[in-house]
Amino acid sequence: MTYDKKKFRVVNHKTHSIDGVGLMQGRSFYTDDLAEQNSLVIKILRSPHAFAHIKSIDVSEAQKLNGVALVLTYKDVPHVSFSRAGQGYPEPSPHDKFILDEYVRYVGDEVAMVAAIDERTAEEALKLIKVEYEVLEPVLDFETAFENKSVIHPEDGICEMFPIGFDPKKNVAASYEMEVGNVEEELKKSDVIVDETFYSQAQAHAMLETHSSNARLDEHNRLVIYSSTQTPFHMRRIMATTLGLPVSKIRFIKPRVGGGFGGKQAFHGEFFCALTTLRTGKPSKMVYTREEVFGASYTRHPMRIRMRIGAMKDGRINAIDCRSLSDTGAYGEHSLTVFMIVGSKVLPLYNKVDAVKFGGQVVYTNHVPAGAYRGYGAIQGNYALEATIDILAEKLGMNPKEIREKNSMREKETSPIFEIMGEGTKGTAMIMESCKLPYCIKRGAELINWKENWPRKVVGENKVRGYGMAIAMQGSGIPFMDMGSCTIKLNDGGSFNVLVGATDIGQGSDTLIAKIVAEELEVPLEDILVYSSDTDLTPFDCGAYASSTTYISGNAAWKAAQKMRARLIKEAAAFLGVKEDDVEFDGKLFTAKDKHVSLYDLSVQWLYNKDLHQVSVTESYFGHVSPPPFMAAYAEVEVDLETGEYEILNYVTVTDSGTTINPMLARGQVEGGVVQGLGMACFEDVKYDKKGNLLSNNFLSYHIPTHKEIHKLTSEFADSYEPTGPFGAKSVGEIGIDTPPAVICNAIYNATGVRVHTLPITPEKILKGLKELKK
Amino acid sequence: MLVTFYLNNVRVSYDVRPDEYLAETLRSHGVKSVKVGCNETSCGSCTVLLENRPAMSCGILSASIEGKHITTVEGIQEEAARIAYFFGEEGADQCGFCNAGYALTIYALKRELKNPTDDEIKDYIVGNLCRCSGMQSQLNAIKAYLKEE
Amino acid sequence: MIVNKYYRASSLEDAYSKLQENPRNTILGGGLWLKKIGQSHETLIDISSLGLNEIKDSKNEVVVGSMVSQRDFENSPVVKALFNDAIAFSTREVMGVNFRNLATIGGSIMGRYPFSDVITGLLPYDVELEFYPKQTMFLEDYLSYKGKLNAILVAIHIKKGQGKGFYKKVKTTALDFPIVNIAVSRVNGQYRIAVGARPAVASLALKAMEYINSLKNPSKEDFAKAAEMAVEELSFLDNKDASKEYRIDLAKVYVRRGLEEVNK
Repeated sequence: MTYDKKKFRVVNHKTHSIDGVGLMQGRSFYTDDLAEQNSLVIKILRSPHAFAHIKSIDVSEAQKLNGVALVLTYKDVPHVSFSRAGQGYPEPSPHDKFILDEYVRYVGDEVAMVAAIDERTAEEALKLIKVEYEVLEPVLDFETAFENKSVIHPEDGICEMFPIGFDPKKNVAASYEMEVGNVEEELKKSDVIVDETFYSQAQAHAMLETHSSNARLDEHNRLVIYSSTQTPFHMRRIMATTLGLPVSKIRFIKPRVGGGFGGKQAFHGEFFCALTTLRTGKPSKMVYTREEVFGASYTRHPMRIRMRIGAMKDGRINAIDCRSLSDTGAYGEHSLTVFMIVGSKVLPLYNKVDAVKFGGQVVYTNHVPAGAYRGYGAIQGNYALEATIDILAEKLGMNPKEIREKNSMREKETSPIFEIMGEGTKGTAMIMESCKLPYCIKRGAELINWKENWPRKVVGENKVRGYGMAIAMQGSGIPFMDMGSCTIKLNDGGSFNVLVGATDIGQGSDTLIAKIVAEELEVPLEDILVYSSDTDLTPFDCGAYASSTTYISGNAAWKAAQKMRARLIKEAAAFLGVKEDDVEFDGKLFTAKDKHVSLYDLSVQWLYNKDLHQVSVTESYFGHVSPPPFMAAYAEVEVDLETGEYEILNYVTVTDSGTTINPMLARGQVEGGVVQGLGMACFEDVKYDKKGNLLSNNFLSYHIPTHKEIHKLTSEFADSYEPTGPFGAKSVGEIGIDTPPAVICNAIYNATGVRVHTLPITPEKILKGLKELKK
Repeated sequence: MLVTFYLNNVRVSYDVRPDEYLAETLRSHGVKSVKVGCNETSCGSCTVLLENRPAMSCGILSASIEGKHITTVEGIQEEAARIAYFFGEEGADQCGFCNAGYALTIYALKRELKNPTDDEIKDYIVGNLCRCSGMQSQLNAIKAYLKEE
Repeated sequence: MIVNKYYRASSLEDAYSKLQENPRNTILGGGLWLKKIGQSHETLIDISSLGLNEIKDSKNEVVVGSMVSQRDFENSPVVKALFNDAIAFSTREVMGVNFRNLATIGGSIMGRYPFSDVITGLLPYDVELEFYPKQTMFLEDYLSYKGKLNAILVAIHIKKGQGKGFYKKVKTTALDFPIVNIAVSRVNGQYRIAVGARPAVASLALKAMEYINSLKNPSKEDFAKAAEMAVEELSFLDNKDASKEYRIDLAKVYVRRGLEEVNK
């Protein structure tokens, strides 16, 4: 059903976040704020070697230190392999991690754990642990990992849950191949072929709240874990399986989370808190240092992507071949799923091809592990594809805007890739019921004045402005795999508790869900009381990932609200002694001709006076499709031709994410994504030394964008309605991050003639290119 | 060692180590609005006002503030709500982890600079990192707050 | 970082004698890099109540107490008036206000940090350091002084003069250390050129200065030549932030632009 947007009262209107004031006032509901006052403090001894075998480990001195409660090594923990990745079951990531292991596979890998009465004692104890390592030859170049004589996972007991191409003896965590039509044959027919290879780096999430967790036993001796996580239900399941506990013995609570971006879609410290508290009976906590977040959690997967694209003289793209190599570092979290998205959420953009092929490997190295990160796979693929499209356009003598308009996805069209490729498995066929990409391209071009400005303008002796563009798509949850649910409970006075598993990690999903429920029930937003993500109290939700919250959890909340509305009308009809069809409800009053009763009166009466009962409903939702949001993005950069330095003067996006439930927060998601993408495109360089030590491991050496780098963002939304979404909404959380690497690459090329094939696009690389052009 | 100072205008005496920094002192005494994002004076989440000026509390030795005034967001609750209003107007609030530090910096900015330019505002707040927003919405919110009499 | 004692000095003499007691005793400046460097100390000596946080203006010089915060320094009308705001400008390039309210001018100088914006920004001017026990030293001499100076920095004397300055910090983002930083001045008709974060601490390009000061009316080409000379006489190295070659390219461009700018 398509709703008339003009009739929305709350949805699609500007409202403030329901928690905005409390958070600004410093209300303390983040994980570490809620740790027990006298928690044991957990610290980890980390590997100084990129790859080593622990020959011996002696913790006796550490155990003797005053104030040390527990020391654990691999000898003391269950030897059960698991994946840290918080994903659906069975997990599409290899089970290649142990809580502690006799091998250490990157500088920063866990060697031993200490729990002590305070931080200083725990740190002292770490120094007293004596470890003898057999240092092994590390693999630090992912292009040499395949069949390297150094095997990073030689151990027994690791496995895949279903075929994902896992081949650890060859350092392969996962692999994938697919082809539609015959790419080689089609490329032979092409008038023009371009063949380009791009490299992207291991971007760090750099959320402001570091990974935190704490544990305690409740009065039933159940393990209660507070965790700064995106996936509390997956955490509960994986922890139960790995520790051999029944799910019923574990409760995960996700309090307020200080940013996730995919970085909190996995275990970080929760096992250590659990083991400490189970073994000592005492509350415990672990808070990562900033250096540990950089060097011992996980990053985006660095990739090498080779794009071969063929086209006819008239500009029709007839074949695309995408070969990728992904570096998952020491462990394979999200290795396959990230990899597949390089194809599945990128290549369908150009759906008019005769043949398309995608494949390659995800390899282990002795780098910091890679895992989920906002826009995963899509940003890497988008950089390679959209930069190559510009190169192709130039070869064809076409305007980059024109070639995109001619070849890109339109409404009511599809791509065979949707059915072939899913999230680690087969996909789901779907037609684009909403796709305003042509509008986004056109409108963005107007906003940047593409016609006048492209490709460049000289503005000074050494100053040139360049203009670049790219298009992107994403998804909205994983069909038939992601499920969200919602319970709504009526209180006396007419307010509603809304209990959702949906995980607010700062993106504003609590506000979004409140708005959907308020819209449907027609009650004031302040009467909707959202409580999210507590495995004991809220119904299930897969968690905040894969751009699923608005679409999946939002649909669940909408269904529940519809059911609550119907239920209230039914009960009110009975009370008034009229037919349900005759009852109208405006959020306050139930009216049937000359009779009426207020929600307030009914809600009080049901709890205290007559016909006593609790009115509550639960609904759940899973997607049958994953409608992609679309975006066109343009940038204006100004380059100093003598130094290569450049400023991003304006970044324009026009987004089709269906109805924006909360227009301000949707803009916040897009702009926040764009700025993170600009970080990856321009500033965030990842540096290792020759021994595998991460050098860019703090905010002074890893540069995220600040206020001074952002000059102007121009963000608009297309008028769009997705019929399967809640009130017409699609996802918006990831799409913003996808375009900047390609857009900046294209803009810099248009300004300078230098094509940078390796992220980030630094002034140094540009100047080097300029010097080569002069030769 | 004992250090005596004014926390939101209340005189307090805390026993601190000579190498203890104020962020740790405040959090261990229940002032959890002070967030530690890096603990190496790079992110600004732990910003407090030291004698009415924004300063990162992970960079202030607790022993050094004898007799001085420290303000945390608990000391400017009404102003924080005003700032939150303008953040809400611009959709500038997301995860909230940096917000208390921002509120203090913005509060001090309003009192220190009269009619600042965009560049002066950016310079004042650049030491408060945010990874969620796109910066522009925050800047617009701050400008609107500064205009308010 | 572990510190055993914290000592509030009552006078410079008191602070100095405490400093002599143990080689692991140290004077506390702003206390920021202390933590980052993470070295342990026996006693931190607090000199914040010794009246060293004042900026004094006189006819010939500006005297800046060593405990003046970077923020007070950059906001001081007296400092802003020096050489068209060039010195104050260089301090403003350091991190954010919530950092600069803590960082002290003295701490930045005494640490001789190679990434220092304060040092490079001050170097092309006539700057003398005043120590306790009584001793003075030009900034450039302190930078090349071997070993640790066993004295307490009391004040920085910046000599006034006619002219203007130029400062450029090349950086990735605003909260970054400089990839290289360049300060150029022309005071009373004399040019001076300093380049820091090469990645070593700032140095003056003496040969280039001598060359350009020997010319009566230097042309654009002369400035370019001086810039070439500057990068030849100074040493540059690779590190994780940039290659040696890129640093040289940047220094060359900005020394030339700086000379052109201060000549305007």
